[in-house]
Amino acid sequence: MILASQNGSFPIQTTTTTPGDTHWRRRSLTSTARSNVAVWLPLARRGEGVGGSGENTLAGVGAVPRKVLGFLLLVAATLLSGEAHAQEVQSLLKDADRYRMSADNLQVDTQVSVFNTDGTPDKQRRYTVFAQSERKSLVLMQSPMEKGQKVLMLGDDFWLLMPGTQRPMRITPMQKLLGDASTGDVATMNWAGDYTGQVVGEEPCQPDSKATCLHLSLQAQRKGVTYQRIELWIGKVRHEPVRADLFVQSDKLAKQARFVMDKPGNPTTVAEMVLVDQLSNKKETRIQYLNRKERTVSAEWLNPMFLARNPALE
Amino acid sequence: MGNALTALFALALLAPVAARADATELTGQIRSYWINRQTADTGPLALANAIQPGTAGMDGATAGAQAELRASASMGAVQLHAHAGLQAQEVEGSRADTQSRVNEAYAAGQALGWQWSAGKKIVSWDVGYGFRPNDVVQQEVRRTLTSETPEGRPLLMAEHFDADTAWSVVWVNPTQERSDTGAQEAALAARVYRRSGAVDWHGFVRQGEHTGPSVGAAASWVANDALELHASVRAYQHADSSVSTVTDGSLVNMNPWRAHLSGAGQQVLIGGTWTSETQISVLVEAWHDDTALTDAHWSVWTARNRALPLWLKQGVPTAAVAGNLAWQGKAFGVSNSLRQDNLFVRLSWQQDRWQTALDVLYTPADQGTVTSASVVWSGERFKLEAGLRTHGGPADAVLRQLPVQRQGYAVAVWAF
Repeated sequence: MILASQNGSFPIQTTTTTPGDTHWRRRSLTSTARSNVAVWLPLARRGEGVGGSGENTLAGVGAVPRKVLGFLLLVAATLLSGEAHAQEVQSLLKDADRYRMSADNLQVDTQVSVFNTDGTPDKQRRYTVFAQSERKSLVLMQSPMEKGQKVLMLGDDFWLLMPGTQRPMRITPMQKLLGDASTGDVATMNWAGDYTGQVVGEEPCQPDSKATCLHLSLQAQRKGVTYQRIELWIGKVRHEPVRADLFVQSDKLAKQARFVMDKPGNPTTVAEMVLVDQLSNKKETRIQYLNRKERTVSAEWLNPMFLARNPALE
Repeated sequence: MGNALTALFALALLAPVAARADATELTGQIRSYWINRQTADTGPLALANAIQPGTAGMDGATAGAQAELRASASMGAVQLHAHAGLQAQEVEGSRADTQSRVNEAYAAGQALGWQWSAGKKIVSWDVGYGFRPNDVVQQEVRRTLTSETPEGRPLLMAEHFDADTAWSVVWVNPTQERSDTGAQEAALAARVYRRSGAVDWHGFVRQGEHTGPSVGAAASWVANDALELHASVRAYQHADSSVSTVTDGSLVNMNPWRAHLSGAGQQVLIGGTWTSETQISVLVEAWHDDTALTDAHWSVWTARNRALPLWLKQGVPTAAVAGNLAWQGKAFGVSNSLRQDNLFVRLSWQQDRWQTALDVLYTPADQGTVTSASVVWSGERFKLEAGLRTHGGPADAVLRQLPVQRQGYAVAVWAF
């Protein structure tokens, strides 16, 4: 399995196993080998490579056909390797997602607490999130000042309903970002499917910790996601999310996230996500998942115009 | 106080229901406000008061408090909802008064795959911010000085939803008199909504009791991560309007403005919103509204404003001249749009608990402007809002002749 190059250091996976018992090590390569190393290294290691002279594996093949065949094999290997690589990242992301989204269709009661840089409480908000399959979410604001506001997210499409007007409004992904914990932070609980990327390698789980995690570099596959790039660190064994750097479309670091698990020794679910704003105010936002239960809402609830039906939703 | 009792009665009706209900919910807010106004030094009303003080009543500084209560209860398949408000207000130079309003009081349920609602309800349609041609049920007044909950309309409504489509049929103001006009007119209206990827499509029809049919369409398109574009168009056979029976400078002894059913016309809106990563939003909208007085009407109106004071030199009693000038102010209420062509730009910025906004309404025909600036701070349960609005442009611009030219306000809201 091939991993990404990063500053001349090429972490590679030496065995391909199930996500729970993957073993990783790093290998440094010279800069001259960078362009092709992602394909050549593993194949060569298995004795199937077309690198170097290629004579051991392609003996008997004429010079020109051998070059053509070598090229075709290179292309095929690149494609196969890329495909396998993407599948592995998706598998890791699905594992990580399960700690926040334990079922395809959930109702999640969420409390968002914002703290000033000196640790004093700033504000608190309550949300009910109906997180449904196929990237559909309905968020009901429950705090007194926001009561009656609703946000509907259907894939890349978003609507907002303000209680005074009872008129659902189409909003852009940028408008979804508004607020300390954006609606996207509250409602989005899946990375798999929305992001693809590569495993960068093993790195300290926290900058100052000895424990190591898998570092995934993720790129958004859709325009509507809250963050265009995510640098994600997950547990090596259970693949629980540990921390993440969240980048907006301009590739500015918007927030840094830390995931607090229910049982640190044997995590089963994310109890809290801690976000530290990096764009402006440096405030800390804690998103606590108070209650999760399986719930599938009817299709009409996810019709934007149904948002104005009141109080049927509550 | 009668209205106050009505509002209390509406909420009280829910009390015994709530006691037996499957689920109940009670929320509300207390809102106090202060508005200071600076009256115009130009225009017919200013001139009328200059000739004879007190001819045209102008509101001075106003302070008041509102209490709003929302109650919802669910009894089996039927949901009940009421939203009422009480207001105590004192206008400078006047007695304090108390008013009440039932904004919403309706029952809702589901039968045969259709959702139904009956009672008084806010039903807002159409896309757009500054102007909504197809808001044919609620007909909400836009660009108010402070954000207030509109008063719902009496209606019967049936709606059908699936994943991407919604059908709505509304009988609004079913018990109103035939003579009622504008948003009070009895009408049948329908909307079909269809979601198609990044575009929302809306189609509208309305059959007013005396304004007849109208048909409209609207769309809202999220073009990319930052940009939303929208447009709305409506064609109508008739519209409620007013015309002056006097088109020259002659004096009359009664209000010359009469209710009038205008001919066919169109209303068109086009606009868009751009929002940056730094939470700065820019909204731009332009619209044309045939229900507004035409440029020719305003020219006649302006000429009459200039001609009326000349009667003073001929010894005509000041009360007659001032009264005729004051009646000229009726032109301001003919339509929600003063001029037919309008451009609106709004810049807003949200940062943490603060939201600031600056907007300008511009009427190209006479270069009139209305500029508003506001700042809002939102806390856990408290919200504070303050702002200024001022009118600008040449002295003969219609917007410059409105009776109030500058307003400052402060609002404090406590939600529970």
